[in-house]
Amino acid sequence: MPETTAPPATKKPLYEASTQFKHWRYSPESLINIRSKLNEAAVAVIRQTFEAYEPGSSANVSFLNADEEHLLVTFYVTRITQLCGHFRFPEEVEATAATYLKRFYLKNTVMDWHPKNVMLTALFLATKTTNNPISLEAYTHNIPNTNPSDVLDLEFLVAQSLGFEFSVWHAHRALWGIWLDIQSLSDVPADYAKSQSSVYDTALSHVRASRLTDAEFIYTPSQIALAAFSLAAPDVAQQWLESKQAVTEAPTKIPPGILESIEALKKLIADAGQPETEAVREVDRRLRLCKNPEKVVGSKAYLARKAEEEKKAEDKRNRKAMEVEKAAAEGTDPFGDELERPKPSLVDYDDDDDD
Amino acid sequence: MSNRSNYGGWLQGKTVRKGAANSSHANTRSSTPHVQSTSSTIFGGGIKDPSGRVTEYFSMEDQCPVCKSDRYLNPKLRLLVSSCYHKMCESCIDRLFTLGPAPCPICTKVLRKLAFQPQTFEDLEVEKEVAIRRRLAKEFNKRRDDFDDLREYNDYLQEVEDIAFNLINNIDVQETEAKIANYKAANAALIALNMQREEAYALALKEQEEFDRREREARAAQLAQEEEQERLEREREQNELITKLETSQKDAKKLVAKARASQQKRKSARNDNSSLLGGMGFGADYAKLLKARTNKAKTSVPDEPHVPLQDDWYGYEDFYALRPSYDDIFSEAVRKDREGIMRAGGYMVEEAWNRALRSAVAGLELEPLVGLPSEESSAPMIDAGGDVVMASVQSAA
Repeated sequence: MPETTAPPATKKPLYEASTQFKHWRYSPESLINIRSKLNEAAVAVIRQTFEAYEPGSSANVSFLNADEEHLLVTFYVTRITQLCGHFRFPEEVEATAATYLKRFYLKNTVMDWHPKNVMLTALFLATKTTNNPISLEAYTHNIPNTNPSDVLDLEFLVAQSLGFEFSVWHAHRALWGIWLDIQSLSDVPADYAKSQSSVYDTALSHVRASRLTDAEFIYTPSQIALAAFSLAAPDVAQQWLESKQAVTEAPTKIPPGILESIEALKKLIADAGQPETEAVREVDRRLRLCKNPEKVVGSKAYLARKAEEEKKAEDKRNRKAMEVEKAAAEGTDPFGDELERPKPSLVDYDDDDDD
Repeated sequence: MSNRSNYGGWLQGKTVRKGAANSSHANTRSSTPHVQSTSSTIFGGGIKDPSGRVTEYFSMEDQCPVCKSDRYLNPKLRLLVSSCYHKMCESCIDRLFTLGPAPCPICTKVLRKLAFQPQTFEDLEVEKEVAIRRRLAKEFNKRRDDFDDLREYNDYLQEVEDIAFNLINNIDVQETEAKIANYKAANAALIALNMQREEAYALALKEQEEFDRREREARAAQLAQEEEQERLEREREQNELITKLETSQKDAKKLVAKARASQQKRKSARNDNSSLLGGMGFGADYAKLLKARTNKAKTSVPDEPHVPLQDDWYGYEDFYALRPSYDDIFSEAVRKDREGIMRAGGYMVEEAWNRALRSAVAGLELEPLVGLPSEESSAPMIDAGGDVVMASVQSAA
């Protein structure tokens, strides 16, 4: 590999080809902005729906705000970890499912789709996209009060919300890479990996903690892994970063300012914690009251919405039938006019007769 | 070597060598006398066997299409092929063409007596194709080195093939003949040169063969001589031992042992000698020749490796160097898997390491985004029904 150094300036780094870089990279400010705007829009729509069916009923409903929505999503990320432990899914599945869930709620609101259901679908989808498939029956059988349809009904919605971008670059893989690569450092003792394996475990727990934060939307997986490793073994992490900064002839240079990002990330990870159960319970209780009535099976609004949708579909069918009828009455072929045939030339080559 | 020809092998099933008994056709051959035609000397063409004789197609069902006489009526029947590829018996040819050129009784093309050839193949189409190809090969004898690149050479071969096809199937014969004439005129010098080269090559090959043969003979002679010498020596020794046993007062066993030892010594010395000779001898020169030939082939066509995937992505190769092995607890099970069950699907731990290392340095340099994006495309959109939908879905609708 080293002999292919100094590639032409046109070469773009591989990470920048990923959808993660292109579509799922935000600044902290824009994340806050997206969530608050999504929340405002959702509240406005749901309030309107309440008013439409029972005027004045929305006055004493307290809707969730953006932070409360986020709290609920974070709580269900921790539930993914529990489920994965139960199923003995690999780290890859767990990390992917967590990413899917968080990405889904950058496009949708908790008040429309409860994370309890979306979480199951996201995890099931992650088992498939990471090549750890499990049958739907085996999956739902082991989760109480779940039917296969609960998982499948949301599957397309989740996939669509993710923009069908299923591939994710993970921090835990980057951490493994750092763990391997420090063996190439000259100052690190040869048996470091063996004698200090607890360092890796600590770093991995920090990577897991980072999944409860917005780190993956702001920073790259390698930075998260480095920050996690730096929390576990600051000296070695520093040496490793310096060895990478010493590489100067590469197309991409690591700027000195990256240390600040790493420090900010370390703070973010260190502050990360599981949401308090009491707070979550409170949010969930309120959510039951402010859910989008159109999405609650059996409610008046739900039935009305269903009827409306059916009416729309019926209208569409009728319109189509009318059009076909009209076309038939006018005598035009629904498949268009007959194509004009080319005039026969002097010699008809298609003529099979030998005369 | 001399009784093996280049083309004899695949012809032997169908043809009978004139004047030579052929065991595979014994049942047909033995009943018919060997015919030595009076006119064989004047006929050209046909495929010659290594002894210089023309091999000729021959069957019991032969019948002259002109006079209808067959082998039953005339055991000496010999059919010859005209330049328009029609068969006739020798007596018909004598009858029709002795008085000068006359039309062919089958196709009315004007023929001469001298233009009749012995038949080599059962199928006259093949006969014609071989004749045409032999003729073309004489003139279209350019080689790969005469062209600047492979493409031109291939075009040339294609053209030759087209000409051959046209002549064989009687398509635009006149034009094709004109083409050949043009080519001949334009490339006269080169054709002559290539002919010389061809001859020189054939000569060199013959010389090499001759040389090999002589070397083999010399070696056989040397071996025979050595053996003879050895035999004489052994006899002399035997005699010596016997006379010693008769005359000497020493222990017989000791004497015999001594004689054995000296014999063994001489034998091993001889073996050394012969192995030295064998390594140097036959085959070394031939191997050299082959080597030279393959070297030549190598230099003429550059073989560039085909690179299937070419993109302009940079994979951070500068930032890490994959080591041959790592102290890695996670891949231990795979690496210790002797039977390779875990690697059966093509899993390579080096690939996994490489991916991890790349992932460890990928995007390390990217500083986080700051502030709000200038355009509002990332803002969520709400459709008329109240569902939040993605921008991509809306634009697609």
